[in-house]
Amino acid sequence: MTRMAVLLFNPTARPFTVMIGSILLLALIDRGTGFFLSVGTFFSVMQLFATFGLVALGLGLSILIREFDLSVAGIVGLAGCIAVMTGASNPWLGLLLGVGAGLVSGMVQGLIMTRLHLSSVGVTLGGLLTLQGLTYVLTDNKTIAYPNISVALELNAPIGGLVSVRSAACFAVFVLAALAMTWTHIGRDVIATGSDRRAARIAGLNTDRVVIGVFAASGGCAALAGVLLSYSLGAASPVALADVLATAAAAAIVGGVSVVGGRGSPMGIAAGVLTLCILRSGLSAIGVEPAVHDLVTGFILIAIAFLDAPELFRRVTSWRLARAERGVPERKPP
Amino acid sequence: MSDVPLRSRFRLGVRLGGARARHVVLAIRVIAGGGIAIFALSTPGFTSPLSINSLLNAISFIGCVAVGMTFITITGNIMSLALGATVSASALVFLASLSLGVFPAFLVAILFGVVITAVQGALVGYIRANPLLVSIAALSLLIGGAAIATGGQRIYPGGEGLQVFKGRVAGIPVEALYFFGTVIIGQFVLSWTRIGREMIMVGSNLRAAIAAGVNTARAITVAYVLAGACSAVSGVLLAARYGSGDMELGTGYDYTAIAAVLVGGTAIGGGSGSVVRTLVGVTVIAIIATVLLLRGFSQQWQYLITGLIVLAVIMLHTIGERR
Repeated sequence: MTRMAVLLFNPTARPFTVMIGSILLLALIDRGTGFFLSVGTFFSVMQLFATFGLVALGLGLSILIREFDLSVAGIVGLAGCIAVMTGASNPWLGLLLGVGAGLVSGMVQGLIMTRLHLSSVGVTLGGLLTLQGLTYVLTDNKTIAYPNISVALELNAPIGGLVSVRSAACFAVFVLAALAMTWTHIGRDVIATGSDRRAARIAGLNTDRVVIGVFAASGGCAALAGVLLSYSLGAASPVALADVLATAAAAAIVGGVSVVGGRGSPMGIAAGVLTLCILRSGLSAIGVEPAVHDLVTGFILIAIAFLDAPELFRRVTSWRLARAERGVPERKPP
Repeated sequence: MSDVPLRSRFRLGVRLGGARARHVVLAIRVIAGGGIAIFALSTPGFTSPLSINSLLNAISFIGCVAVGMTFITITGNIMSLALGATVSASALVFLASLSLGVFPAFLVAILFGVVITAVQGALVGYIRANPLLVSIAALSLLIGGAAIATGGQRIYPGGEGLQVFKGRVAGIPVEALYFFGTVIIGQFVLSWTRIGREMIMVGSNLRAAIAAGVNTARAITVAYVLAGACSAVSGVLLAARYGSGDMELGTGYDYTAIAAVLVGGTAIGGGSGSVVRTLVGVTVIAIIATVLLLRGFSQQWQYLITGLIVLAVIMLHTIGERR
């Protein structure tokens, strides 16, 4: 393989290639008008990153161990509502309760899966519906305003014009996750559980604990995203962000998390989220209408699905062979 | 998606063997089903024609999508996040092409739904692209494409003839007849045709299916094609019902559909399940919603209780299946 092909096909390198590629593409379309390559665009990319990033991280970790946590969409809403309802006077209390609720619901789902040997899609689908219902009951089906508006201003205040407290906090969580995955046994255990759970268990790893831990972490990440979002919007509504799950899953997979498990890293996921955020705010910065974002995002996802497909090379090779056989019959292998 | 456990055990203090576990689960299912029936029938007004009609309507729209989802789940491709958008988009296509006459418009809408999902099915089947990612990509493309095609406007019918898809025949809502037709055709394909058996085989064990010489790519593509056709039927029914359409029409149908599939007892890993089970799943969810409504629960409590029941039913099924 040539070096270019490695950059595109190597799953660890590709998230970063795609991210840099989309930056270059947008800069090219922008052609120095300064709308895309500006501090303002960087800031809005980071704000979007803060909204979707942590959800994608949690979901990505669950995909990494060959599970799929649908409930993150419900946890975002629940944690946001809890934080807004309890944190009016003391935002830290709201943060604590919101993230705590996420951790607990993730852990409970993990316990149900491991103790009863159930599949994650079923349990977290039930979890999603239950958590959404719980959010509706808690908020009485209304949008709850958050009176402490100074918190919202503080969270979104720019630091050096580039990041806000919210996006910096989100990035810090990514760095922590990357450090934990690279330098501690947690990363090794998670990768082992995702690669081959049976082998990991035979090798003496308590895989049940890894599963519960990953789902708790996933719930915690989603909850933190929900709390920060609700605080910074100054309101929480039980109507969940409809596109949060699809966006987060797309970001995680663009970020190089393999759906067959055992491959992926927090930094890759960060690159995946950033790619989608760059496309979204970059395209609107250069004045493209929102419908085109969806098309561009869709084409990029299709392209990645295509490149990632395990049978692609076999199909292409067999098609070439068949064509060669038809065109040059004397060269037919014996 | 998780692996097969080394050893089956309930940590609740009970150890159950295969046959006994199945008996226990069967007993629980019968008791639960009976409980729901008694609970429903004892609710005042549940058997009134009005409530039965609204129940049938609710079942029909979501049921067609759920039948489509069943094919995707049964071939081992978990779920599609794009079926809701396919419903909305084919409703728009139906309304826009209604000037051609109602049956040509119906065919155009079905064809549209089929093409949309056939491309996804071919990607998943022939080169094993990741089904979730492909469906998310399709969702983005559908939303973007529809926004450009419609300019963000609502679509109103371009012709007459919508009453073919609404109203009543012999007191039964027409929507329900179309839905039951979909169920019968779907179950027929799954149980009585070669491609249907191949779908189940592919979902149950892909490698074994390849070794047995099954054209797995074709089976998966056909499953997606059927899913698209069923979603388009739902789109046409919704368009006729509301008389106009936008991309919000089928929002959230993906999750309700997969919930119905799982409540019916089709295995999430594929290879086991049926369309009739999905019919049961849709009906159970709709009955619970109707009963909660009639008993005066507020909207938010309805959501919560339905969620808890879905969770409980899914747990019950999977305990029975995983030995």
